Amino acid sequence: MKTTIVTLALAGSLASALATIAMPAAAEDGKEKCYGIAMKGQNDCAAGPGTTCAGTSKIDYQQNAWKLVPTGTCVSMKTPNGHGMLEQGMAPA
Amino acid sequence: MSAATQTAFAAGLFAATPPPAGLTAWNSRAPERRYGVYRNNVSASLTGALSSRFPVAERIVGLEFFRAMAQAFVLLHPPRSPLLLAYGDDFPDFVAAFEPARDIAYLPDVMRLEVARGRAYHAADAAPLDPQALAAVDPARLGDLVFTPHPALSIFSSPHPAVSIWAMNAGERPLTPLECWDGEDALVVRPQMIVEVTPLPPGGAIFHRLLAVGETLGLAAEAAMAAEERFDLSTNLAVLLRSGAFTAIREENPDEHRHHA
Repeated sequence: MKTTIVTLALAGSLASALATIAMPAAAEDGKEKCYGIAMKGQNDCAAGPGTTCAGTSKIDYQQNAWKLVPTGTCVSMKTPNGHGMLEQGMAPA
Repeated sequence: MSAATQTAFAAGLFAATPPPAGLTAWNSRAPERRYGVYRNNVSASLTGALSSRFPVAERIVGLEFFRAMAQAFVLLHPPRSPLLLAYGDDFPDFVAAFEPARDIAYLPDVMRLEVARGRAYHAADAAPLDPQALAAVDPARLGDLVFTPHPALSIFSSPHPAVSIWAMNAGERPLTPLECWDGEDALVVRPQMIVEVTPLPPGGAIFHRLLAVGETLGLAAEAAMAAEERFDLSTNLAVLLRSGAFTAIREENPDEHRHHA
């Protein structure tokens, strides 16, 4: 790094920035993944590298496809196949 | 269905023409009416998909206006992919050229922000950078740091106060008259499960954009200071760390020093 002025500014600014953010960024945000409730093609994504899976579920209420719902509401959701699940279910045959 | 029949069937869905020749209905009567029902369902479902992607735009212009605008778009831009979640990426551009919406100059940008939010929602999960990783770096080497952007990150800029207008109509902020009509910038990112829109302070867009394309922290800070005299490094670093816009840091010369994950 060529400029010491910027280096000095960075050190000072970082110290005050770190002091400003009392809370770490990684806080829970009150959502859970709910399996088995998404309609065909409306599932959210299981993510991971090279993700292209959002909206790819083949059947309604597919047991291994999930949708984001407010925390605590998953297992209260009723589908023709039963309630939503917090654990991933079987892929469709 | 033969390929030719399929093409004719599909083409008729987006034009106010009689149904393609050779269609039959299950009850062998009035295939025109059955085809009309099909055509109406296509239009209604695509309009509905646009409503659910652009709830704030719908709220701003009202249901009736939004529907009419969406129907005009659907006719000219039938979906190219079976994934409805990507449908309407180019709807903001269409609205920008849509004569009846011309007076609402900020509307296309509010919709671009909604597109960015949709993309962030469906991007891969990744854990945001732990601020303590930065605290552990030798202060003399801070300028050489390179940041890895979060897969969900995009940096939104508008010559209109589109971020405030979005926030007020999305229920994130109380509806108040806008005093300042200057342009606004924001980070769109999904650090955990929920998409967050973080308004950026002056110079923040330049700073975060340079970092997102892999420039060093020193260069990004210098460029932002040069471009915007109100740029405050400390405020921007706090926004960067709190927003979860980046996931990892490394030094520009990896062979010289340790790594941070």
